[in-house]
Amino acid sequence: MKTNGMRLTVSVLALVASGSMALADSMDDLVAAAKKEGQLTTIALPHDWCGYGDVIAGFKAKYGIEVNELNPDAGSADEIEAIKANKGNTGPQAPDVIDVGLSFGPSAKAEGLLQPYKVSTWDTIPDSAKDAEGYWYGDYYGVMSFMVNKDLVKTVPSDWADLLSDEYANSVALAGAPQTANQAIQGVFAAGLSAAKGDVAKAGEEGLKFFAELNKKGNFVPVTGKSASLAQGTTPIIIAWDYNALSWRDVLAGNPPAEVVIPKTGVVAGVYVQAISAYAPHPNAAKLWMEYLYSDEGQLGWLKGYCHPIRFNDLAKNGKIPQELLDKLPPAAAYEKAIFPTLEQQAAAKEVIAKQWNDVVGAEVAK
Amino acid sequence: MKQSRIIPWIGFGLGALYFLIPLIATFEFSMRMERGTYSFKAYRIVFADPGFQSSFAYSAVIAVLTIIVGVALVVPTAYLVQLKLPRLRPVVEFLTLLPLVIPAIVIVFGYLRMYNSSSILPLTGSARGTDLLLIFAYVMLSLPYMYRSVDTALRTIDIRTLTEAAQSLGSSWPRIMLQVILPNVRVGVLSGAFLTFAIVIGEFTMASLLNRPAFGPYMQLIGANRAYEPAALAIIAFAVTWACMGLIQLVANLSPGSKR
Amino acid sequence: MSTTALPAAAARDKRISWSWLGVLPFIAFTVLFLLLPAANLIVGAFQDASGAFTLKNIVNLGQPTIVRSYMLSLQISAASAAAGVFLGFLLALAVIHGMLPRWVRPTLMTFSGVASQFAGVPLAFAFLATLGRTGLVTAILMTLFDFNIYRAGFNLLSFLGLTLTYLYFQIPLMVLVITPALDGLKREWREAASTLGATGSQYWRMVALPILWPPMLGAFLLLFANAFGAIATAYALTGSSFNLITILLYAQIRGDALHDPNLGYALALGMILITGVSNGAYIWLASRSARWIR
Repeated sequence: MKTNGMRLTVSVLALVASGSMALADSMDDLVAAAKKEGQLTTIALPHDWCGYGDVIAGFKAKYGIEVNELNPDAGSADEIEAIKANKGNTGPQAPDVIDVGLSFGPSAKAEGLLQPYKVSTWDTIPDSAKDAEGYWYGDYYGVMSFMVNKDLVKTVPSDWADLLSDEYANSVALAGAPQTANQAIQGVFAAGLSAAKGDVAKAGEEGLKFFAELNKKGNFVPVTGKSASLAQGTTPIIIAWDYNALSWRDVLAGNPPAEVVIPKTGVVAGVYVQAISAYAPHPNAAKLWMEYLYSDEGQLGWLKGYCHPIRFNDLAKNGKIPQELLDKLPPAAAYEKAIFPTLEQQAAAKEVIAKQWNDVVGAEVAK
Repeated sequence: MKQSRIIPWIGFGLGALYFLIPLIATFEFSMRMERGTYSFKAYRIVFADPGFQSSFAYSAVIAVLTIIVGVALVVPTAYLVQLKLPRLRPVVEFLTLLPLVIPAIVIVFGYLRMYNSSSILPLTGSARGTDLLLIFAYVMLSLPYMYRSVDTALRTIDIRTLTEAAQSLGSSWPRIMLQVILPNVRVGVLSGAFLTFAIVIGEFTMASLLNRPAFGPYMQLIGANRAYEPAALAIIAFAVTWACMGLIQLVANLSPGSKR
Repeated sequence: MSTTALPAAAARDKRISWSWLGVLPFIAFTVLFLLLPAANLIVGAFQDASGAFTLKNIVNLGQPTIVRSYMLSLQISAASAAAGVFLGFLLALAVIHGMLPRWVRPTLMTFSGVASQFAGVPLAFAFLATLGRTGLVTAILMTLFDFNIYRAGFNLLSFLGLTLTYLYFQIPLMVLVITPALDGLKREWREAASTLGATGSQYWRMVALPILWPPMLGAFLLLFANAFGAIATAYALTGSSFNLITILLYAQIRGDALHDPNLGYALALGMILITGVSNGAYIWLASRSARWIR
């Protein structure tokens, strides 16, 4: 009996060992193949966004692979178009990997633009944020926040309803145009979620009503809010993703001093997803890039850029997050109330907000 | 006579105010990088970047090449349309207006589809090939301005008489173009050249998606999420581009046959 | 008779076919680098998301939001083009025929070159920093003259404000494009006219303006198309309040929210048609005025 059990244990151990050796082997193979390709082409990765500057530098230093960065100004739609336009192109204009908004993952998969790949840490990615077949997978998220210029704003608002106060006349701006930019639409959605007291289905309409009110009171500034307009004074309060707001705050370095506030209600999380192009000229470099991004090192790199990596909970559970990093983020309590709208909820809200903005809020009043 | 000297000065003065004040406001903001005082810190940061010189030099060279190709393409065409093919005028004019309304991003994606490494004309396959494609793209972008300037200039001179005179003296077509027509439309060509240069220096979308190290993508990289550096960069780019145009003007004035 | 007429006709035909050869490079260039790459746009306007042929996108152009959008774009383009032509003409006139010092003209020309492309985010920012609520001029007027332009009803983020901003690149464009024509207005003609007893306004009405009319019209068309296709400045300045057609187009083709590129292509097709119609109007007007010049 005992010898049988021993034999079973040994054989199981051997099986496990060979399995992990196989994994290590395949990782080494991947590194070698990627190095042979020698280059990775990315698109739409501004260096100030989620700390991508350091993440890319880290990848280059670790594997010695060149990273060719295309158009950092590209939006999600541009990334998809770039894949389509470069179908037959193996030159450096063809992106290998993309980082797009959640809704673009399934649509790109449906158009046959992606190839599947499951990273080694696949199981630690929440199911709701990945495609079961591995075509796209969530990479990070942030929540909608207020960025406030403390030089110009005396009382810092703590919730959406505060923004309607008279002291914020000509102060509140979105970080884009709601007909075009996802960040702006999610801002309206978050305001609506707060007004609708958590009812996701009504959030779109309520958001439009909120901004119509904001505009009527004269608090809304229809200019695209950026760190430059915040510093110059045109948009003292900007509604933007927390990672953008926090990195802008750092860049301004106190000139002017800015505070980033997560509102008490209506906390909306926006997820972005990674994917590999089906026509990637350097597929192995692309896969190695994914492995790097989803390793602890890559995920913490995003956290340094104030983005919550998708494996945040897993990392926190295993105590992998340095305390200094946690201290630089807004308090974790604010994130507990975050709502992750599903694809369908997002699509419905976008329809309502983008199409009806001009009619309901219609800041064409200023003629 | 004296009275009519004041009015032009007033006109020029008002124009100068309108154009300079926004620049002054941008400059004033760019100097505010250090809290509480005015300083050139934003400018120091911009100049310290090595990419500045190389990307500007690249764009300047591409700009000059674009001007040459553009002039070579537009002047004979505008000349022939005016002299011999007046019925083609509506078509040509319509074509030259299209680059203004067709979004550049649609065009560049079209280029990637048509001229990528697996097509008949694999221009994107090599760096020089892509440079050529970029030059053609910029010629296309500057077509409206170049054509309108040259066309206006051609209208003011009597090309029919000039051509017949040159022909009766036994001149060949290339000589007529280069030595009779071109010097006489110098002002129009110069206007078009200025506009082309400015377009190429600031252009971003095409250079970025075709992956060339031009000045537009560099400006985007520096300015993306910063507050003070983009303002400084705008002023610097304005000043340097203006200086380059002064150089072009100088070269044009020094070459033989110029009246001014 | 016929034997001598034939060679002349044949010679004429030969010259015209050489002319066609002369414009061939231009035609080939526009086909290869403008029309074919943009063909995707025309084809896409008649397709739906799966690639099947449909007229739905064209029909959707009739939606009230989109029609209003086109109207707004047309209004802004016409306003900034008209003001640009008028003011640019006066500025060019002042500099070229105003007997100002010699350095003024090349300075204006080179400056106009740069300013004509100063658009987008830097321009929007410059105007916000000047005439915005916290702008330099706004502040100066308030501290020095106790005059609050915003209380007086001015708002940079309005039709007037956007037109004012557009003029920053429209006026220089007009200056550059009309200069060759103003150069052609010889001083001798002015002197001859006054010798013959013509007053200033008679000179303008009967000599100068008839000559300048076609190039000015052409310049108006260029400025109109220039403003019509402008996107970056509008997006940065009044993106969420002004429903211009370019912003709508941007939302469909580039935006990361709506993304219905086929509708975007249909919008672009509409813009191309409007440009074509305005070009046709210009040709018609120019030919009518050309009749009584020659």
